[in-house]
Amino acid sequence: MNLSKIRIIIAREYLNKVKKKSFLLITFLAPVLFAGLCLLPSLIMVLAKEEPRQIGIVDHTAYIVPQLVSSDNIVYQDLGTLDLTAEGEATPSADTLRAVLSRYGVDAIIELTPVDSIDVQAIAYSVKDLGMETGQVIQGAISRAVEQYRIDRFNSLHPGVDLSQAMQEVRADIALIPLLIGKDDSIAISESGIKSILSMILGLALYMFIMMFCGMVMSSVIEEKSSRVVEVLVSSVKATELMFGKIIGVALVAMTQFLLWILLTVAILAVAGLALGFDALMGAGAVAADPTGMVADTSAIASIVSTLGQIDFGGLLLCFFLYFIFGYLLYASVFAAIGSAVENEADTQQLQIPVTLPLMIGMFISIYTMKAPESSIVYWGSMIPFTSPIVMLSRIPFNPPVTDVVISLVALVLTFVLFAWLSAKIYKVGVLMFGKKSSFKDLMKWIRQRD
Amino acid sequence: MAIIEIQNVSKKFGPKTALSDVSLSIPEGRIFGLLGPNGAGKTTLIRIINRITIPTGGTVLFQGRPITDADVAKIGYLPEERGLYRKMKVGDQAMYLAQLKGMRRADAQRELRAWFERFGILDWWGKKVEELSKGMAQKFQFITTVVHKPSLMILDEPFSGFDPVNAELIRQEILRLKAEGATVILSTHNMESVEELCDEIALINKSRLVVTGGTDEIRRRHGEDNTEIEFTAEGALERSRCVVPRTEVNAKLSELIAAGASIHRLEEVIPRMNDIFIKLVTEEGN
Repeated sequence: MNLSKIRIIIAREYLNKVKKKSFLLITFLAPVLFAGLCLLPSLIMVLAKEEPRQIGIVDHTAYIVPQLVSSDNIVYQDLGTLDLTAEGEATPSADTLRAVLSRYGVDAIIELTPVDSIDVQAIAYSVKDLGMETGQVIQGAISRAVEQYRIDRFNSLHPGVDLSQAMQEVRADIALIPLLIGKDDSIAISESGIKSILSMILGLALYMFIMMFCGMVMSSVIEEKSSRVVEVLVSSVKATELMFGKIIGVALVAMTQFLLWILLTVAILAVAGLALGFDALMGAGAVAADPTGMVADTSAIASIVSTLGQIDFGGLLLCFFLYFIFGYLLYASVFAAIGSAVENEADTQQLQIPVTLPLMIGMFISIYTMKAPESSIVYWGSMIPFTSPIVMLSRIPFNPPVTDVVISLVALVLTFVLFAWLSAKIYKVGVLMFGKKSSFKDLMKWIRQRD
Repeated sequence: MAIIEIQNVSKKFGPKTALSDVSLSIPEGRIFGLLGPNGAGKTTLIRIINRITIPTGGTVLFQGRPITDADVAKIGYLPEERGLYRKMKVGDQAMYLAQLKGMRRADAQRELRAWFERFGILDWWGKKVEELSKGMAQKFQFITTVVHKPSLMILDEPFSGFDPVNAELIRQEILRLKAEGATVILSTHNMESVEELCDEIALINKSRLVVTGGTDEIRRRHGEDNTEIEFTAEGALERSRCVVPRTEVNAKLSELIAAGASIHRLEEVIPRMNDIFIKLVTEEGN
């Protein structure tokens, strides 16, 4: 191997790909998309923020209005027992209601009328729809006020019994606390939902990246063959040098893209954070998870944070890097061999299917990982080299034994070496075979052929 | 001295024999024609010299030593199946190919610019290859083949696709490179070019070497040893020609002169390369 020549090949392959418009487009669009996804809840919150709703209350019961407390979003205005019907009307007319709304400058008037000793009818008059969220908040507030009234009434009818205390004693809301016993003998809360999502994202991402960059290698091989530039090249460098130079060049393109993606996403999030305020960013997730705003469930967020804290991101990043690189190298050499056997992209399908099949099987198993991370199909999928990059990576959030990871990596690397050798043999012959469509039988023949 | 010595080279692809026991000597500083019908094994032989293909048997010597990968940098190869990266800029591509042949960046830049200038195509430097016409691309490709000053050039069908003006330009360049001391292996079906350019030839047919030697010598050897006489008979308005065996020339001349004819030209009949090619290849076939 002539290293200085391989370097020249790598440089051309790299610069050629990196300067392409499609590369620039994906590199700059993906972080925008990704950051957008991260920011979506906070954006919705910011954009959905409105002027507080002014609600006029006409309370004929007299006991509800003192219980209503205004908030940032809803401001209650006590209108006393204002008569909403004009003279000679049995029910309020539209004109009268409009006049009242504008006179008090409120968005809605809520009329509360006692039905019997304990029940209340609540009617909201408004020109514009109040919206589900506001409606629910008001409804909840009125219900609680009525509930409180009923408790007080019950208590006064049954002296010596405190109903609110009794209700508190009766109410049950039992949560299941999932505790995991760790290898370091720690016992900590586990949130398998987060792990499942992370597992699926990792599996899918690796599948996508391997397909994308191996496809790049293959079309680059085909381009050289179909444009006939290859024979000039192999008279200057060894075919093997050309093949590996190409594979390494595209690997560097991938690394560049990943790095830019991470940097750009972080940059966009940071800028957006400054613009929107970090509090909005942090708080948005919590509020978004609980749109009614009735309960601020901080414990769920706390558990997500603690789960994410449990995951070893350094290890995850290292695993992603190793499985991407070796998975990519394995498939890229096979794809290069396939590319060498054909003269245009259309002819690749027949040869490509048997190769993409294991990759797809890997992806399907990785989806299964989140349901049953300990099942034997997932175990074997993460061990067998052709599916292992995707499946093992999807297992990583569930903390697989280190020995499993090491064995699967060693098997992957050895398989890569074997297939790189076989592919180089196919490539050497295939790349100079013109004018004839090659089948799998031909590829086997080329492997057996002595140089 | 021979720059390339091919000794008993054979090549098998599985059961198929592409070359069988070929021995050739290519002298330094000459233009050597490699002839043969399609599928005879010329490309395989060229690829073996280039070390793209490793022979099944036999050895290739370069300047007296077994050829190594380092020697390949001293070879410039213009394959028959040639092409360029269509989307790449002409200048970048020339630099890339020159560097792959082991040229340093600065040298490559300087030499390439000199060649571009000589061919009057310096303004192509920043263009993409796909913007060039076929002839233009071939001219550019010829430069990339010779820019690293190879001591041996292997040109496979260098004239195909060229118009007569550009074909002549390339022909002159080949002769100029020869004058500078380079050796050229010329593989072509254009027999006129062979007669005009090649000092020596080898004819390969059905994976075997049929004949090799000096071009003139081979042409003579395959001649019927005849002489053509051009004359005007007495009282005739137009010239006539007749062909006679060399041994009968004197007798024929005396006869014509006695009859009052005037003799214009007397020339040995040398067969065209084209005829020799067809004769040798069809004889082989029978």
